[in-house]
Amino acid sequence: MNQENNYHISFFRPTTQRAKTNRNTVLWLISIWAVAVFGFHFLLRAIEKPTPEPELISFNEVWKDVKAENASVEEIRIFAKTTLHVAGKVFITTEERAALDNGISWAIMQLADSMQKLSLKDALQEFETIAEKNLVVTNEDYVASKKKLGAIVQQILNLNPSSVLATILPLEIKSSGLSVLSVENMTIIEACMPKYMIHNRSVLTDTKFLGFPFHYFYTAVFLLILFIALCYAYCVRVDNYNKKVGIAE
Amino acid sequence: MPIVLELITIIKRLELLNKLNIKKKRNMKKIILPLIALLLPVVLHAASGANELEGGFKIGPAIILITILCAFVMVGIIFRAKDTTDFYAAGRSISRIGSGMAIASNWMSAASFLGMAALMYGSGYHGLAYVVGWTGGYVLLLILMAGQIRKYGKYTAADFIGDRYYSQSMRAVGAIIAILISISYSVGQFAGIGLMFKWILGLNFMWSVIIGGAVVLTYTLISGMLGVTKNMQIQYVIIIVSFLIPLFILTYKFDYFWILPQIGYGSVVSDVTYGLSSSDISQLANSFGHGYAITPSPEYSMPWDPATGKTFFQWMAIAFSLMIGTAGLPHVIQRFYVVPKASDARWSVVWGLFFICILYWSAPVYSAFGKILSANPEVGKLSKDAIVVYTAQLGSVHPLIVGLLAAGGVSAAFSTVSGLLVAGASAFSHDLYVKVINPEAAPKKQLMMARLGTILMAIIVTSIALLDLGLIGQLVAVAFSLAGCTIFPLFLLGIWWSGSNRQGAIGGLIAGGLVSIISIVYFIARKQGVILPYHEFISYYLEAWYFAWIGAPIAIVTNIVVSLLTKETPIEIRKFLIEKVHT
Repeated sequence: MNQENNYHISFFRPTTQRAKTNRNTVLWLISIWAVAVFGFHFLLRAIEKPTPEPELISFNEVWKDVKAENASVEEIRIFAKTTLHVAGKVFITTEERAALDNGISWAIMQLADSMQKLSLKDALQEFETIAEKNLVVTNEDYVASKKKLGAIVQQILNLNPSSVLATILPLEIKSSGLSVLSVENMTIIEACMPKYMIHNRSVLTDTKFLGFPFHYFYTAVFLLILFIALCYAYCVRVDNYNKKVGIAE
Repeated sequence: MPIVLELITIIKRLELLNKLNIKKKRNMKKIILPLIALLLPVVLHAASGANELEGGFKIGPAIILITILCAFVMVGIIFRAKDTTDFYAAGRSISRIGSGMAIASNWMSAASFLGMAALMYGSGYHGLAYVVGWTGGYVLLLILMAGQIRKYGKYTAADFIGDRYYSQSMRAVGAIIAILISISYSVGQFAGIGLMFKWILGLNFMWSVIIGGAVVLTYTLISGMLGVTKNMQIQYVIIIVSFLIPLFILTYKFDYFWILPQIGYGSVVSDVTYGLSSSDISQLANSFGHGYAITPSPEYSMPWDPATGKTFFQWMAIAFSLMIGTAGLPHVIQRFYVVPKASDARWSVVWGLFFICILYWSAPVYSAFGKILSANPEVGKLSKDAIVVYTAQLGSVHPLIVGLLAAGGVSAAFSTVSGLLVAGASAFSHDLYVKVINPEAAPKKQLMMARLGTILMAIIVTSIALLDLGLIGQLVAVAFSLAGCTIFPLFLLGIWWSGSNRQGAIGGLIAGGLVSIISIVYFIARKQGVILPYHEFISYYLEAWYFAWIGAPIAIVTNIVVSLLTKETPIEIRKFLIEKVHT
């Protein structure tokens, strides 16, 4: 019975010096591993602050008046620019883009004078007709009509023609959205503006390291180096111990 | 008899293989080199078809793909195991670095090659949870299991479970779980193969998956048994070279630090985050002619950004589940059985992880470039899982190199899936049929069962892949959670606590299995539009890609509690653990 009790393995209750050494090494490495991966992310979570983009602050200042349909020209311009800013973002959904397009189209129409309205409608109709027929975006007619429409809307919104917003603006104007900003789309716009323009930021996300935001570098590059280093350290430690006590595997 | 030895017996019966010798190796080399020389100009000319983002048969990439697959089969034949010892101790004739390359080749699948960039392209920083999970798990695997598994001396996960828990039923259950994990893992691979075939052949997804499935099945039946280490090393080199070349080109072309793109792309991430005005770099453009520009998009790089719809909890749960899943995947664990010594098993993990990390450091580069190059709405919605190829195309990388990249993606999927199909078929024929159902089966019958198992698995996997249930990376993550809830606790406790007995193992397996079933049933129901009770709660906390975060701890605790309440582990098992595994 006594002898039977000797045959028992437990990681937390090692019975030999080698097992104790191994347990301590494993516990050290796992602690480093856990703190580096999960500890860092708990820290990231703890110190982060939901931070709005400047465009969201501008949007919030004018949104109430735009919604109530008593916004000034400048307020509508700000509304158009901020919604266009979100329309150019990377994770936008099709439904949200449609709502934002309605907002941008409506705002452009509100800002245009009577001459601009006529030329805008003509240019937009021409562009949409060509776009429907052509699937290739390098088509000469398509490019020319897009350029023509772009020149009109960029002028209405006072955009620098070489800016990113100016590039995407003609693609966000839809004839179906020129006259009315629907209540349904207003609701979507109201919800998606903070969704896309409030970010969890902290000193760890705002500090740059080798061109990266620091937290991104830490996770995408450094942690992988650390994993290899931990594996390397473990192998060296075990090999050295085996050599020291004369164990041949 | 260990499965590897049985496989050798099967291989020996294949007349074709037995007739080959050193002289024929030379002949093969004489054939391959002129063949490549002949094909190269044709490929260069034909590669112009690779310019289209979608649609159209692309003959250049098709020729590259066929050439690479033929090369794999030929290398398999040339460097095949000459005898049992050679195959059994595959690592003996190669260095630890070579063994590490084999581990990396075995590991790098469509999920690594295509899926990771897709996850980051679709959900930004959230995708890095997969990168960390799939690499951090190797630390656990090394320090908790690698050496001990080698010392235990069994050859499949089912063998270990059956022996350690002294139960034929447990062996059968272990084999069934290994098959389920192989199927789950292969679904993502088939989806990746389908996507790349769609891109190359210009067919719809359904036909692409069916044709891709048929090709991979044929490839597996021809070369599956030739999966020797040498072939895996060559596969690794082809996969990693095809993945890295476009990165050097993209970083050079768009004026970033191109000498080390894995660091140089830091500025690309910052450009996505803070925006890039086209006026600054007006001479740069994507293949559509759109300026290299993007509006500020911090949601791409900020943690658990509301715009991605992902949360802090999900990030942590995915990373943890993938880590323990890595340490529980049967086909990964099996790699340690073929090295001669425990120390080789340990060092091969270090090198394997290093080679894997080369790809994992690189995948985020594609997603970051992809975001800028596809930022203009005219590019339209792109299939996330093909973003690696689309990014290279949008960056106007030479069509031949894009074709090589697509062929590399298919090769990555092929190298993993053929191994998985063989592993699943082995579990079916060896662990289930021979060990449990018909121990007297003749070798011919065993071979037939192995082939039948391979074909059956390919059909099942193709059928599931056609349902298009999720992104490649997510589908593969299901296999990891399943392994984390079932195999991982059995190995962890089986190695480190002799008190874990058969009853405890059964209890733990039931608990882990139950969590897995609930999660997968809810996932399938949701995909079919069926709303089950508490679906929001279950879908969030037990999502199919990360249910192991809670399933594994429950399985471990159940195993411990039941073991403490029931009869002690037999003395022979405890003695074996002390004398063989922990000395």
